[in-house]
Amino acid sequence: MGEEAKGDFEPKIVGFTCNWCTYAAADLAGTSRKKYPPNSRIIRLMCSGRLDPMFVLKVLLNGADGVFFSGCHPGECHYIKGNFYARRRIAALRTILKEFGLDERFKSYWISASEGEKFANTMKSQAEEVKKLGPSPLRGKIL
Amino acid sequence: MKGAELKPADLKGLLRGLLEKGVVDCLVMPHRAGKTVSYMLVKDPDKIESPESAIFAPSFVVNAANLVKGWTIKEKVGIVAKPCEIRAAIELIKLKQMDNESVLLIAVDCSGAYTNQVYTENYADIGDQADSAKMKALEGKGVTIRDACAICANKLADVGDIIIARAAGENLVAAGLTDMGVDALTTLELSLEDKDLERTAEKEKIAGDAKAKLDALPQMGSLDALEEFLHDCIVCKNCRDMCPVCYCKECFFEQPLGKPTGGDLLNLAELRGAIGLPPGQLFYHLTRVYHVSTTCVGCGACEDACPKDIPLTRFYPVITQKVQDIFEYVPGKDVEEPLPFTAYEEEELEDKLRD
Repeated sequence: MGEEAKGDFEPKIVGFTCNWCTYAAADLAGTSRKKYPPNSRIIRLMCSGRLDPMFVLKVLLNGADGVFFSGCHPGECHYIKGNFYARRRIAALRTILKEFGLDERFKSYWISASEGEKFANTMKSQAEEVKKLGPSPLRGKIL
Repeated sequence: MKGAELKPADLKGLLRGLLEKGVVDCLVMPHRAGKTVSYMLVKDPDKIESPESAIFAPSFVVNAANLVKGWTIKEKVGIVAKPCEIRAAIELIKLKQMDNESVLLIAVDCSGAYTNQVYTENYADIGDQADSAKMKALEGKGVTIRDACAICANKLADVGDIIIARAAGENLVAAGLTDMGVDALTTLELSLEDKDLERTAEKEKIAGDAKAKLDALPQMGSLDALEEFLHDCIVCKNCRDMCPVCYCKECFFEQPLGKPTGGDLLNLAELRGAIGLPPGQLFYHLTRVYHVSTTCVGCGACEDACPKDIPLTRFYPVITQKVQDIFEYVPGKDVEEPLPFTAYEEEELEDKLRD
């Protein structure tokens, strides 16, 4: 592990999506037969507000090469304000991760239920970006 | 603000008065024991002997807010402490760990503090209180204040219900900041007059010095540096226990998921090939720094508490300061201001999600 050449490895990406928008968008991407790389493993939450930043830390420390979080566009949350709270938490977490150069492995998106194409494109571009970054430096460490 | 001038010798009367007149039911305040100071909980006014020798002592023992955290009693508790401790108490009020109506917060001007060990060793030179000239001279001899104090920009008392400020010469000023504070001073029959205690120029100078010290602290900057920094951590969680604003009753890191043992650890080792022991140094500290990211008052109690002498001031206050900056939030400044994670604006922070 950690020895694969940059760009020549298949990254593992863990995604946290909300049930109402981004998960539905992933569904739509599937039913409309949009192709995207199989690197992401999606964990469905009922709302992006359910995302405890510890989930992201745990995933990164366990060696995921990339993490993303995606929910309804601000103002369109199924639970009215879940993603507003999520946005503050994510902003705080990213500020911390930035101190150690881990922020580039943690992406956040807003993708609504009708944006199947955007979902597929986002997955594609993130997989490419993470490939460029190479394997996570945390993978080989003894933590 | 309304305040009254005092001589150091009047402090005893003021604090005794709070108890005698029933303004508070008890006081948590520093008391002197030879070359050192520590906190006491007083009910009997006669036990307050020479407060002026203890409350200005530049020594940090424990964060007073941590001592009264979670006290859910009806009796009114007066707390006499440094500004960082009072700010922590205000955060605890916002976190519903204390009741605003049952505490009277009295902040005392601070000049920066030594660890209590350094203070006791150098008591002959430092004395009961220190001014900047004396501290500078000591710095030349290698006796320095704690890192957390060196980078603190809020040493002058400007929070709580009552402040006790050092004025020209030996004089002091006691002033009420809130209705509760002014009422307390009125009950003591002090003749209150308008006082200007903004001290803007002085504050700017302190903030400038603090910034210079902060910039001079070694930066971590990379994951490898963080790994090395935390390498000696034994995950005793003393930094959590001494932190005034770490308040969960059931800490995640005391539960099976956060504190895996035996078979769980074996499974993790199977997954990763090898894991460090004790497990979870990075996970623990990164989680904790997120948990206190908006409420950390930068008192440095975590560093003092570390049995392995890890300079945690370079981690906790330095990183949380950056998070507080994005929310433009100063912990402990205003009891009415909502905690950043309990509020939101409809349009904000999008650049912080992506840059």
